[in-house]
Amino acid sequence: MSEPVISVKNLTQRYGKGRIIYKDLSFDVPKGRILGLLGKNGTGKTTTINILMGYLKPQAGECRIFGESITEMRPETRARIALLIEGHVQYAFMTIEQIERFYSRFYPKWNKDAYYELMHKLHVSPNQHISTMSCGQRSQVALGLILAQNADLLVLDDFSLGLDPGYRRLFVEYLQDYAKAQDKTVFMTSHIIQDLERLIDDCIIMDYGRILTQTSVNDLMRDFSRYTFTFDGGKLPDLTDGDTGLINQSLIGREAEFYTFKPRQEVEQILTAKGLSTPDLERRPMTLEDAFIGLTGKY
Amino acid sequence: MYSAIILKEWLKTRRVFFLGLILSLLIAAYAILTMNSVIKTFGVVSIWLNMLLKDASMVDVVTYLPLAIGVALGVAQMAPEMSHKRLKLTLHLPYPNMKLIALMLSTGIIEIFVISVIQMAVIAVYDLTIMHPYLVGRVMLTMLPWYLAGFLGYMFTAAICLEGTWRMRILLALPSIAILMTLFMQSGVMAAYNRMLLIIILLIIWVAVLSFGSIIRFKEGLQD
Repeated sequence: MSEPVISVKNLTQRYGKGRIIYKDLSFDVPKGRILGLLGKNGTGKTTTINILMGYLKPQAGECRIFGESITEMRPETRARIALLIEGHVQYAFMTIEQIERFYSRFYPKWNKDAYYELMHKLHVSPNQHISTMSCGQRSQVALGLILAQNADLLVLDDFSLGLDPGYRRLFVEYLQDYAKAQDKTVFMTSHIIQDLERLIDDCIIMDYGRILTQTSVNDLMRDFSRYTFTFDGGKLPDLTDGDTGLINQSLIGREAEFYTFKPRQEVEQILTAKGLSTPDLERRPMTLEDAFIGLTGKY
Repeated sequence: MYSAIILKEWLKTRRVFFLGLILSLLIAAYAILTMNSVIKTFGVVSIWLNMLLKDASMVDVVTYLPLAIGVALGVAQMAPEMSHKRLKLTLHLPYPNMKLIALMLSTGIIEIFVISVIQMAVIAVYDLTIMHPYLVGRVMLTMLPWYLAGFLGYMFTAAICLEGTWRMRILLALPSIAILMTLFMQSGVMAAYNRMLLIIILLIIWVAVLSFGSIIRFKEGLQD
């Protein structure tokens, strides 16, 4: 198996000297995969990207990209990484044309056509300043620059921030085509899980201070389940108590709900052991967003 | 790549550069017109006597302008980098980080240098038509610390803007103001700072190093 593009080992980070963001975080991003780092606000998604890109020194642990320690990354290695900063930040004082010319000097594999193809769709003039564009249009400029850079690794921090559904869809479709056709590795975060469902191959779901799961989206959707059953008996017993493997139970009206990685047969045994009769126990279809909420909880 | 970096810096600073240049030329013209008016009323000897006996440089109007231009240029160049943490984009460019910052600072320094030299040259050329080169030299030496204040103000502003936290910005701003006030703004006597010129130049070099410290702290994660 080839060396992972991103390798993170035992990463530990705190907010200053206070609350721990995570401890001993380890994960790999294999070549050619699209990995989504998912988590609620404040779980450390942007912090992780800041560490990986060298804008934050971790308190402990080691990160390598293309086998190189991020603390000693050579400019040639940086040239292989395309970075999208949260909010599609770019040099707003430049025009469409100036920014393309500016970046083209830095990247040997620069593909001008990929950038202008996207710009033509926006119907913007080459002399238009980025500062005068809408958030959606700026996102397309940022995406165009990423595509033109033709990097081996794309690191995208919350690409959906501030975008309306049309631009989000456009961003996802372009990125998906590009990443799959060119065998690119993508490491991305987003607070809108729906956008990622069609895009990512693998996901890491983070909670406060830890990784809840790291798996392929297909495996997650196959192995993780949401069950419902009708409950009439007053107070629902605590299904999560006693290392049952059932999590995030809730009762809305008469419908009880919980999530689990356990197979149906084991689930039925656990419910029976809890004294529940569940003839209408049903495994419900889930989206990635449902799975995310099932793992992290609604609060 | 360096030409692209210089172009980026130029795009940020060109308005302030041209504004500074126009203001400098206007101020130089004002100083020249004032001297002309004195010559017409009292004769050119009165200018020489004023310089020799009263230590008056006749160009005091220039005093604060280079500093103002230096600060404005520093803000115009570095504030966009810190707005929305755009500095991350710059530091991600495949170019050695510290060389990149040196190139950015060099662009600002060259722009201040060009404005200063043009203004000095205009005043010097006029002065040479009305006074002895010795006196012209004294006027230039009187003005030199003001121009150096421009460079120092620029360097301080760059370092302050590039800091990632307001706490560090304030900690840098307080001594910056104190040093500028102490060094440059206390004596209006001609060539009063001659013996300190070397110290001032060394100070500018030292302050330039502060910007690199700001970048190191930014990369360590000291950001608001």
